[in-house]
Amino acid sequence: MFHQTPTRSIVLVFALVALALYAIYGGYFAREIVVEIAILAILAISIDVVAGFGGMVSLCHGAIMGVSAYTYGILTAKLGYPALPSAVAAIGAAAVFGTVVGWITARTTGIYFIMATLAFGQMAYTVIFKSRWLGGDDGMGGLPRFDFDWAGIAMNKSLPFALYALLLVLLCYVAAAWVMRSAFGRTLCGIHSNEPRMRAIGVSTIIHRARAMGFSGLLAGVAGIIAGQHIQYISPELLFWTVSGEALIVVILGGLGTLIGPMIGAIAFVLLKHELSGYTDHWHIVVGLVLIATVLAGGRGLYGQIEHWMTRRKARGAAQNA
Amino acid sequence: MLDVHNLSKAFGGLQVTRNVSFKLEQGERRVILGPNGAGKTTLFNLLVGELKPTAGDILVGGTSISGMSVSQRSRMGLSRSYQKNNLFEDLTVRENLTLAAAAAQGKIAWLVKDSFRDRGVKEAVEEAAELVSLTDLLDTPVKAASYGNRRQLEVGIALATRPKLLLMDEPTSGVGPSMIEGFHRLLKSLPEELTVLIIEHDMDLAFDVADRITVLNFGEVVFEGTPDETRGNPVVRDIYLGDWQQDA
Repeated sequence: MFHQTPTRSIVLVFALVALALYAIYGGYFAREIVVEIAILAILAISIDVVAGFGGMVSLCHGAIMGVSAYTYGILTAKLGYPALPSAVAAIGAAAVFGTVVGWITARTTGIYFIMATLAFGQMAYTVIFKSRWLGGDDGMGGLPRFDFDWAGIAMNKSLPFALYALLLVLLCYVAAAWVMRSAFGRTLCGIHSNEPRMRAIGVSTIIHRARAMGFSGLLAGVAGIIAGQHIQYISPELLFWTVSGEALIVVILGGLGTLIGPMIGAIAFVLLKHELSGYTDHWHIVVGLVLIATVLAGGRGLYGQIEHWMTRRKARGAAQNA
Repeated sequence: MLDVHNLSKAFGGLQVTRNVSFKLEQGERRVILGPNGAGKTTLFNLLVGELKPTAGDILVGGTSISGMSVSQRSRMGLSRSYQKNNLFEDLTVRENLTLAAAAAQGKIAWLVKDSFRDRGVKEAVEEAAELVSLTDLLDTPVKAASYGNRRQLEVGIALATRPKLLLMDEPTSGVGPSMIEGFHRLLKSLPEELTVLIIEHDMDLAFDVADRITVLNFGEVVFEGTPDETRGNPVVRDIYLGDWQQDA
């Protein structure tokens, strides 16, 4: 069951403020990193919704994000529709894609679910990779950013864009946290805990799991919009299964089923990558070692482990006082 | 209320349920007796839809539910407890009951409102907890609860859905005499209009609570009657009570 504890709220605000300050004072390169973190954090939060709360480990979230980015690209760069409604439509397309994939794959669990989502993701990747109209493996350019000039905000500058990306992280987190502590999230946790019993008490679990994939797809769609607007170019690589795999690593690194963990994981992952790649091309080894350490320590992830220590200390303090 | 009509189930060549027919009136307490392997639990699985029958029909209030899924039947008011505990192991007692109450009241997909804070859900949870005497243990994690308490919760989950027809599969299996007495009281305190079908091995309990008794053997109904008729019946004595009376 999800609880938005005060600690989680504090960590969320602290992390976002730190990233904003980094973007403001860190120059162009820092802003690029902040946007990269934002995209990965939102994608990881969306995976946490299904994997952490619903027990559905998905390898198609990169593809869901890509469906959103490509829908945005088609509507704006290809067909010339305005950016804002196109983005809304693209996020909707991602949610629909997620729901459809979910509705079909929810009949399976465990490794079969992982493989089924992998298949859907790779199908979407192949369709776009083979499509000349969509640019094939050359990708598609000319995706616009939003025009907020009327408000005096120049979105083509790096700082406003980085702050906009952080704002979307906050919105996605709040949306995910809200839904996870609503009836919808409670039901999802119940299905994760004991799906046959949920059916026995009257829940159509396949439909609910499909809905969860849809909601998760909506969040992944937001990440797709930022990814498309960031370098204003998209390629099929965005849909490849390794993108989902990397985001899944981030979720586990940060703490599965905590929502804030994936954000911490995204920060740790991107910073490690950029710091270490200055010294060695084999930075993946270090990330791998950190991942192994977190998994062996109980699989709670970086944030989950800290929360675990805090509750243990609190319990010990309470026992001493008693 | 419940009309089971020529229900049969075969796993390959093995006929587990043979032409089972019986009727339950609303508010009736029916106990199903039968030796191990008589097909009692299979009958329950067929009634709630966890197994599909090879032949026959099940009617609830005159409508056939044979084509319905497990969750649809549950929403019709069928609720069961299991012979082996089937709980939400990583949650608390309250969370277990709340999931059941919320599901039965259709409060499962609100995006903004929390079903755990809903008044209607809370009322059903408190009511169920009271019935199975778990009011003081609501915030205990299931993992930390005793076996007996888990048995109570097993029935509590089924009750939290406020069913019309309650199916209990050996609610007292594996618990001690004091807890059997507790279940006895529980059965007596259930709302009168609730129809109850129980698989039970404890004879005192079975004969005391039952309005009628159905005896299964090798998947067949071999006897149906009041507790007094059951006691005196030679067929029942032979296949079932015979052993029991020698033991006693």
